[in-house]
Amino acid sequence: MSETAHEPRNKIAHEPKSTFSQEIAAQPGGEYIRKCIQCGLCTASCMVANYTDKYRPRKMVQKILIGEREEVLSSELPWLCMTCRLCEERCQEGVSLAEIFHVVRDIAAREGHIPKVFKDTVNLVMKDGWLLKGSYTDFEQDDRTSLGLDPDLNWNEEFMKKVKARYFGKEPVEGGEQE
Amino acid sequence: MTTEETSKQNSSAGQTESKVPAALVVGGGVAGMQAALDIASQGFKVYLLEQSPSIGGRMAMIDKTFPTLDCSACILTPRLSETSRNPNIELLTYSEVKSITGEAGDFRVRIRRKARYVNEKKCSACAECVPVCPVEVPNDFDQGLGFRKAIYSPFPQSTPNAYTIDKKGEPPCRATCPAHVNAQGFVTLMKHGKYDEALEIVRDAIPFPGVLGRVCISFCEAECERGTLDDSMSIRNLHRFLADYERENNLAKPVVPKIDKKERVAVVGAGPAGISCAYQLARKGYPVTVFEAKPEAGGLLRYAIPEYRLPRNILDEEIQRVVDLGVKIKVNTPVKSVRDLLAKGFKAVFVGTGASVSNKIGLPGEEIVGVIHSVEFLEKVNTGQDVKIGEKVAVIGGGDAAIDAARVAVRLGASDVTVIYRRSNIEIPAIPSEVEDAKSEGVKFMMLTNPIEILSPRGVLTGIRCVRMRLGEPDHSGRSRPVPIVGSEFTMAVNTLILGVGQSANPRGVQTECDCTEYATVKADPVTLQTSIPGVFAGGDVVLGPLTVVKAVGQGRQAADSIDMYLRGIPFGHSPPERHRVQSYEVDKRRVLPAKRAIMAKQGIRSRKSDFSEVELGFSEETAHSEAERCLGCAVCCDCNQCVKACQRGAIDQSMTDESAELSVGAIIIATGYRLFDITAYPQLGYGRYSNVIHAMEYERLINASGPTKGHLIRLSDGRIPESMGFIQCVGARDVSKDVPYCSRVCCMYAIKNAVMAREHNPDADVTIYYADIRAFGKGFEQFYDMAQTRFGVKFVRGRVAEVAEDKHTHNLTVRYEDTETGTLHDVEHEMIVISPGIQPPEGLDDLAVELGMDLAADGYVDVADQIVTPVDTKIAGVFVCGCADAPKDIPDSVSAGSAAAMRATIILNNMRKKV
Repeated sequence: MSETAHEPRNKIAHEPKSTFSQEIAAQPGGEYIRKCIQCGLCTASCMVANYTDKYRPRKMVQKILIGEREEVLSSELPWLCMTCRLCEERCQEGVSLAEIFHVVRDIAAREGHIPKVFKDTVNLVMKDGWLLKGSYTDFEQDDRTSLGLDPDLNWNEEFMKKVKARYFGKEPVEGGEQE
Repeated sequence: MTTEETSKQNSSAGQTESKVPAALVVGGGVAGMQAALDIASQGFKVYLLEQSPSIGGRMAMIDKTFPTLDCSACILTPRLSETSRNPNIELLTYSEVKSITGEAGDFRVRIRRKARYVNEKKCSACAECVPVCPVEVPNDFDQGLGFRKAIYSPFPQSTPNAYTIDKKGEPPCRATCPAHVNAQGFVTLMKHGKYDEALEIVRDAIPFPGVLGRVCISFCEAECERGTLDDSMSIRNLHRFLADYERENNLAKPVVPKIDKKERVAVVGAGPAGISCAYQLARKGYPVTVFEAKPEAGGLLRYAIPEYRLPRNILDEEIQRVVDLGVKIKVNTPVKSVRDLLAKGFKAVFVGTGASVSNKIGLPGEEIVGVIHSVEFLEKVNTGQDVKIGEKVAVIGGGDAAIDAARVAVRLGASDVTVIYRRSNIEIPAIPSEVEDAKSEGVKFMMLTNPIEILSPRGVLTGIRCVRMRLGEPDHSGRSRPVPIVGSEFTMAVNTLILGVGQSANPRGVQTECDCTEYATVKADPVTLQTSIPGVFAGGDVVLGPLTVVKAVGQGRQAADSIDMYLRGIPFGHSPPERHRVQSYEVDKRRVLPAKRAIMAKQGIRSRKSDFSEVELGFSEETAHSEAERCLGCAVCCDCNQCVKACQRGAIDQSMTDESAELSVGAIIIATGYRLFDITAYPQLGYGRYSNVIHAMEYERLINASGPTKGHLIRLSDGRIPESMGFIQCVGARDVSKDVPYCSRVCCMYAIKNAVMAREHNPDADVTIYYADIRAFGKGFEQFYDMAQTRFGVKFVRGRVAEVAEDKHTHNLTVRYEDTETGTLHDVEHEMIVISPGIQPPEGLDDLAVELGMDLAADGYVDVADQIVTPVDTKIAGVFVCGCADAPKDIPDSVSAGSAAAMRATIILNNMRKKV
């Protein structure tokens, strides 16, 4: 692979810092990562990259290839992929970026790197049983009443308790292991 | 050429060949030419086979070569003439391999030489034929950017320097027409407003453009390929327009008889068959006399078809034209005996006496007052006799005569007219538009009904008793047999009953001198139409039974051809070679825009019910022209023969046919070249949707001085010179998702050359190449790449283009890419985008491989025996490969491979020579 880190900081600048790319390639979906020739088709095709300069799928693959393991795993960027797979559709080398980022998230979660917003979301669901309880206000109740609907949603918390007991013991685990 | 005779000699096992060993080179591109020249210069014979009309291949299309920017044609042209002049090389252009048998040193190759329809030796490529040709098709040599005629030469230096007619066969319209009217021919000429020439084409086949333009059942329209897209062409109305246009503008040229033959021919019966036969014979120069029993000529056209469908002045004028040609028509002259005519000195006789006897319905009471047969009824009306009809009229039957009788009854004042037909709306044989017209005039249709009794107390018709029918199993004619429904009988009051249940040949007619069937129709030979009496021919209803006018006219023409051959003593009787009928898949329909069939104006219903003036009013010139434009031109060449008239050297031969030949060769070289990747597989790049996105070969033609724009680099959307251009690399190459994982090897360099040429054409233009890597691997390539940047100012951006978007108003194109050197996303607007497609194995290579018993590599290219030590040997002994047939190559590498393959082949040829 001809792409290297630009700053010649030390003698091994042209060697990957770690075997991270091999680690990814060993996982299902990550097999073809080392086929990447850094042509930029993925970034130019990416919806998310269109909205934020931070997110650059090509650069993320580049970081993996040069072995920046810690930087990639602790970053929140691999969590931003929408899995629309347009990059995969167009990639001429057969690299599956959505799958690679999935593998990265798996490893990151295992090692405790989950962005806070994802944790909060999961915990909220575990607590309330659904995502929008906090946004259910008087206004919605009034709207439902005026539409002739019952303002009481009859949310079944029993079921949630059963799920918790079945999979997580008595209390929900902080920062759940699941994705 | 090695003919079949020599191949027969060869087939004896002994190696007693005294001939010069020969090689076959398949593909006349620059590699194939090199191979052929090298083999030929060693004294061996070479067959250079090429599927297109000229050798030269892709190099002839290319404008400049890389890295030296030499003019491609300037390098190629001397090679072309060297190849064509070499006495040891036999060019087999416009040809293809059909089969290959044998082994190294003894291959038998069967080839097909497609008919060029132009004699290569006589043609001087003066191009006199081109301006007169009315057919325009996209020019495939110019990648479909410009147009060429049906008669064409791909490029100015075409070798052999002879034109070619692109003729796919016989169009469906013409193949279907019983009279073989060349519909595609006259319609194509109409597109150009050449109405005179168009009418001449119709008159070549039939004497009745105006008559058949009104009454023909138009079998052609049912087969018209346009019908598979939207509506079929209105072919009948178009030739009616031609006749109308000539009449209304008094353009008819006086007819001059050219009777230059002595053998007199008699025609019995002046109906459509007889007049058609007499017309064709007179055109061939025979003195013809037509004998007609009735007071006027025209047969059923005059006595059966009502005037509102066929005004009599039209019929009279067209018959008069036949008389003006020198045909004598003797009316009121019934013929007693055909043999008498022969005895009186007529050398041949045509019997076209028709089917004049009305069929009986088979019910008692058919003779009583108030019951009349349709043809009798129509004849009385048409000859101006006084016909009395009642208030309530019933017409039995569903043929054209029945519908005509019903509509005539309406015009005579009947208030209630009902057509009674025993089958349904689907089976009714009358022309559908006539049925519609009848309905709109108030005629009632009672389908699936049959009369069973004529009610006539005291000898006067008062009504009929009918029964309802249902459709049962198909009968021998393929139509469902109607079966009466028991208990459904009913009675209806009727004052006049018209029976239109068909006609038969007269069982005591003059035709019965010849062998006849039990129905009194003549048993004529289906090909020659000759009867059991030599020199007596028959055609029309008297042979076929009652059918349609156009079939009778067609048989008249067919008989005239036979009589001509009979009189000239030419053996006849075998059917002419069947021409290939153009099939649906062969017709190019890609650029066709939907357009509805033209509708003919009709007289208002109220006014038409009161008199016999013509109902259908004809096309205006504008309508006719736009209708003609809808023709798809199925066969490409429309056989209008305008080129034949224009050619002063008599080089055009429309009677040519494809030929096959067998070659015996010792070695075969495959030099079949490549095809471009179909870049429509990348919809995000917009090719095919955005007119200013083109591919590299289209670009080559655009900048080429002999191309469609004479070398002006312009945008296809508006003809403007592009001020900013982008070249997109690696499209259909190095793409595993499109099954083309390999690098096409030439795209980087040709794109750099194209970009340099863009700056040469317009030094102010902004030119950018979008690439992933530049592969400048050959001698001088890196310097050329460098020069493109420094001297010519071409910009290079590293980043593959993700998508191209078009501005709907300016037709400018925005490319989206990541500049991978800076990591920034860009949207850049260009005025033109050129895609550099990868190259692929050529079409048809797989067929050739099957013939050779050869396996192709997984990517579809020829598999070489060993890439390093035998790079031009295939895995079949005696078969070699060069050019792009085994892998992408640039021109110098292709030519080197050509020489190498020639050397390998001549080793075999030399061994053959030693054995001799």
